[in-house]
Amino acid sequence: MKRFDWRCLAVSSVLLATLAARAETRPQYGGTLHVAVRAAPGSLDPADAGPDSFARRNITLLMFETLVTMDDSGRIHPALATSWQASAGNQRWQLRLRHGVKFHDGTALTAEAAAVSLRAANPSWNVSTDGDSVVIERDAADPEMLAELALPRNAIAQRNAGGKPVGTGPFHLADWQPGKKLTLGAEEGYWRGRPFLEGVEIELGKSYREQLMALDVGRDDLVEVAPDQAHRAWPEGRRLANSAPAELLALVFARDVQSPEDKLLREALALSIERGSIRSVLLQGAGQPAGGILPNWISGYGFVFPTSTDLPRARHDRDQVRKVATWTLGYDGNDQVARFLAERISLNAKDAGLSLQPTATATADLRLMRIPLASSDPWVALAGVQAVAGIAPGKSRGSTIEDLYAAEQAVLAAQRIIPLFHLPVYEAAGAALKNWNLRPDATWNLADAWMGSGKP
Amino acid sequence: MRRAVYNLAIPDVILNTVNRASRLALNPRLRQVFLVMFALVIAASAADWSGPEQQLARKIVAVTGPGAVALTVENRSSLSKRDSDIIQGGLHGALDGLGLRLVRAEQAAATVKITLSESPSSYVWVAEIHQGSADSAVVMVSVPRSQGANTTHDSVPLSLRKIPLWAQEDPILDVVVLEENTAPTHIAVLDSEKVSLYRMQNGKWQLEQALEIVHARPWPRDLRGRLVPARDHLLDAYLPGVICQSTAAMPLSLNCRESDDPWPLVPGTLSGGAPSVFPSAGMANGVSVAIPQMKAFFAPSRNFFTGALTPGVGKFMTVPKFYSAAPLPRDKYTLWLFAAIDGQVHMVDGVSDQAAKLEWGNDLAGVRTACGAGWQILATNAGNGAEDSVRAYEIVDRDPAAVSAPIEMPGETTALWTESKGDTAVAVVRNRETGNYEAFRLAMSCSQ
Repeated sequence: MKRFDWRCLAVSSVLLATLAARAETRPQYGGTLHVAVRAAPGSLDPADAGPDSFARRNITLLMFETLVTMDDSGRIHPALATSWQASAGNQRWQLRLRHGVKFHDGTALTAEAAAVSLRAANPSWNVSTDGDSVVIERDAADPEMLAELALPRNAIAQRNAGGKPVGTGPFHLADWQPGKKLTLGAEEGYWRGRPFLEGVEIELGKSYREQLMALDVGRDDLVEVAPDQAHRAWPEGRRLANSAPAELLALVFARDVQSPEDKLLREALALSIERGSIRSVLLQGAGQPAGGILPNWISGYGFVFPTSTDLPRARHDRDQVRKVATWTLGYDGNDQVARFLAERISLNAKDAGLSLQPTATATADLRLMRIPLASSDPWVALAGVQAVAGIAPGKSRGSTIEDLYAAEQAVLAAQRIIPLFHLPVYEAAGAALKNWNLRPDATWNLADAWMGSGKP
Repeated sequence: MRRAVYNLAIPDVILNTVNRASRLALNPRLRQVFLVMFALVIAASAADWSGPEQQLARKIVAVTGPGAVALTVENRSSLSKRDSDIIQGGLHGALDGLGLRLVRAEQAAATVKITLSESPSSYVWVAEIHQGSADSAVVMVSVPRSQGANTTHDSVPLSLRKIPLWAQEDPILDVVVLEENTAPTHIAVLDSEKVSLYRMQNGKWQLEQALEIVHARPWPRDLRGRLVPARDHLLDAYLPGVICQSTAAMPLSLNCRESDDPWPLVPGTLSGGAPSVFPSAGMANGVSVAIPQMKAFFAPSRNFFTGALTPGVGKFMTVPKFYSAAPLPRDKYTLWLFAAIDGQVHMVDGVSDQAAKLEWGNDLAGVRTACGAGWQILATNAGNGAEDSVRAYEIVDRDPAAVSAPIEMPGETTALWTESKGDTAVAVVRNRETGNYEAFRLAMSCSQ
């Protein structure tokens, strides 16, 4: 097993502490925060089924709120719901709504509005109201219901006459140029208290390179940093923060295992990949080699899944198959590192006698995917990866750590997915941005952020 | 206990091959003595871990059966080395009790690698068991983390002392000592939703009454508030846009109203007003000092004073918006210091307003003591990477001179108010380790 890199700990600890510290002054009201992100969501609706990304989640949570929230220790806290009760063996959940909360259009948050919102995001849920409560009934026990309700996609939105979603969050929508720019204004009547920032301007669809340049010239205050660039961003004096490894980089097959030979070849591919050297060279030391789906910080047992290369065994598996077809390996053509990774994996596969053809086209036998983990709740995170990878959810969830381990093993045994790395999210901030930090699950807290004098 | 860390952070990685156990295996009598002693130590100091130790041991033995195993234990969690050692000892004892003999790897029928790991909510102990050429088996248990770590705070024997008053999870806005003997015996704690009265009984604080603060509008962020003891009733509570007045007799009630009335900047005892109705919280040093009362208007939806003063400092009816203020009486006038929101400290004497950029934070409080020049300013530090601290200063001409060593605080200071007696201040700190809010009394000592 690879020992952890203490330098990463030292750097990230110092940086996180620096960014999190309120430092010299009381928070100051005013100022506009300029942010740039790679994602360019086509919709602001939390329930929209478009591509998931950390940026999209963060944008959602600026404008919308969930019924409950989950802290860094996995504990659930009230948000738009003040209390909740489970019955019928966690199959029925009743959540009482907070009084006095208003949507940004001035209408009151009601149980009916919350129910409509949850139904839109979860067509399979049976959502009803009971006085000032929302009642959710599932077909089977759902002990993770509260963790699911804490997901940004379950944020409460009211769709107005024009179909635009309106939230209850700390910022309201001021201007929206899809794919280009999003402008938000502080919500004066926000029930948790008006944010310190006057507004947030978010440039969408910006490459990592464009973002770093914008930070350097002082045009943006908060930008994303590519994992392989993080080691460079730090020595250049930028204020860098990283989340826990919250993103899974994996190979995902388009189809289930088709035959015993197919199974052997998939196993051979998994055993042939040199995660250690890929991490050192292509990822420049970022992330953690992954043998399992859940990172260790979420499951606590992630280290038991082997990540080492076993070329003799890979060749042995390959040699048991008479005819080997060429697989196409899809990757995101806009992501240069993804292309390098795909090419490197193809070379590894070739060493085991397999044939992989990297392609940037949409259809492929297997794809190199970056999957943002849905939650720091292990069951919700696992289910999220299953959904993205097209793996049918298991029948029963269980409740113990060994049930979770068995469920993850079952997903891996299906051989639809080959985990490669768990990657942190890196963000760089300008000196003027104060009291901002990146949580382990890569969400921001901008409601408490403020703009200072610019001196770090 | 340290805080949880992520996968990157694996402090105190300890990899112990069980040489000790393998040596003991050579001498069964010695081993028995050792295990009995170890069990006693465990029973005395680590009872909390015994459940999961037994549980994991049973799971391991269910795989290996009784016999000889080689055991390693690795700590890759935030557990301290001491706890890890205790758990390791407990696991040895539990495995031995179930018939497993701990031997060297070359003598073992199975090897067991136990890893003490963790997730956000639990400690996760994982045993990987290798037997012959078979695939390894994995068994594990999870142990919920204890909620809230205990921390201790060293008192710093400096001229500026901090005396713990109260701590809680919710933000504390102010604490006022209502009665005291050698130590406070009756306090009121202000937070965003209530005023809580606590009385010391049998060495423990007991909640006497909690008075709800009724407010219609959402509070601003970085909420601030003050408690001020009153003459004809117990206290007043000042919050942005809201003023609450308690009744006089128990059981108390609190009547809150929306109000932009100004907040007092000078404790009643220093302004020549009535001393506290609580004799035990009487005048400091027996010295009667009168400073003209000064009040300032607080922005109802912000975290600062608007700068409007009443009655004003000489010709100045307004000063720049400020976070905090402190008076320094001179022979013929009072010099007022305002920590403005632009980061400067404005020194206003009634005729001039002199602004200076000092290495201070935004929180100031004035105290009247028998030390030095008699009046000091307590100021938080300016941050810039320095430790959170508070330090006492005197102002000579217009230049501040430090008159105490900085007293380290366990986190950022969120409130600093002069107490009603005028000779001490209350500082509220958000503990950077626990996240809890802690209120301290800051008192000057003249001994240094």
